[in-house]
Amino acid sequence: MNKENNEIENKVMGQIKSGRVKLRSRYVFLAEKLGLGSAFILSVLLAILFFNLVLFYLKASDNLGYLTLGNNGFLAFLESFPYLLIVSVIVLIFIASLIIKQSDFSYKKPFGLITIGLVVFIIVAGIILTTTDVAEKIEEKSYERHSMGGFFDAFLHFGLGERVRGLSGRIVDISDQIITVQTPRSLKKVDIRHLSTPLSEPLSPGLFIVFVGKSDDGVFYAYRLHIASEQDAMMIRRGVNRRFGNFNYRKSK
Amino acid sequence: MPQNVITDEELVVIVREKDKERYDEIIRRYQLKLSHYLHKFIKNPDELEDVLQEIFIKTYRNLNAFDSDKKFSSWIYRIAHNEALNHLKKYRRQIISLDEHEMDVVDKKMDIKDKIDASISKIKIENALSQLNEKYREPLILYFFEQKSYEEISDILRIPRGTVGILIMRGKEKLKEFLN
Repeated sequence: MNKENNEIENKVMGQIKSGRVKLRSRYVFLAEKLGLGSAFILSVLLAILFFNLVLFYLKASDNLGYLTLGNNGFLAFLESFPYLLIVSVIVLIFIASLIIKQSDFSYKKPFGLITIGLVVFIIVAGIILTTTDVAEKIEEKSYERHSMGGFFDAFLHFGLGERVRGLSGRIVDISDQIITVQTPRSLKKVDIRHLSTPLSEPLSPGLFIVFVGKSDDGVFYAYRLHIASEQDAMMIRRGVNRRFGNFNYRKSK
Repeated sequence: MPQNVITDEELVVIVREKDKERYDEIIRRYQLKLSHYLHKFIKNPDELEDVLQEIFIKTYRNLNAFDSDKKFSSWIYRIAHNEALNHLKKYRRQIISLDEHEMDVVDKKMDIKDKIDASISKIKIENALSQLNEKYREPLILYFFEQKSYEEISDILRIPRGTVGILIMRGKEKLKEFLN
């Protein structure tokens, strides 16, 4: 055994002395630690920001508004749900958890508890962030194609896109059961002859409406609708105003 | 321990900063211990030697990653543990091999009801350990045969200290079931 031991010692020391085996620089390890630390902080910050954007999206888009409109409304809700934002939050939490798992201290505490703590922290921080206007600023910036805002375009403008089962926007004209509606993307004709429930109040130009139904060949056939209050669907309102200007301006044209 | 004997951690600092040739002291301090540990997984002496050599080379290369405020023995056992697992994965083997005196350790610490015939006990214990799930086997080996504390096992396997206790307790129960 002693002979074998000496052999290993000689082989290893031979490689060290000849320079074939070298110490990895401490700066490499430092850079690794800094890189991991930065990646962790970045993924947590982005998770907080994206969770905040999810809350903002649910509040400011027409997504939750569809839920009050029955089964068809539920399908429109699913169609307009912010999947990309939710998936991004989950992926970022997953990345942050993986980095924690790689760290030197994580095994001292149960990993499940650390992950739950991280998720709670991200949720609370995301909720606190709703008291600021960060999300509105990001929405505003997202229209600017040549800035960082362009990055968020893919996440937020999903809420402003054309849909098959839902539509929301501002009424500009009503004639013979056909309503012309301004959406953040275009002008749409909405056929309200097939409404399943009678109108609770008369429609008039300038009102913001949320419809469910089906889009077919450029016309939207509405089954149900509700009139959005002043605080509802602010993102849609801003999108319409950005595209068409304010209501009086369009009317005068 | 005599006062003039430097600790592993101090020796690592010397190797890193002053004299790389003092690394042979680290090899001498750990060669037998790690051979003993690796022997649980690797029977073939040539393979064991290769793995041991690889462990010492990896340890040397990564010495700058070692935090000298922590225990060096846990750190080098962690490297040995990873290398042993890599070796087992590579050759898809599940071998547990005990020395003669280690059967006594199991006999004493496990409190087995029916004493096993000495001639078959070694094979029985080896088989029982081989059948154990890896998550129980590793802490048991480190606790019984390498005389590591819960804290050290926690550092080597990177699991919480409380989990080490639970795994050892359950591992002992399962091992008893196999042996009885």
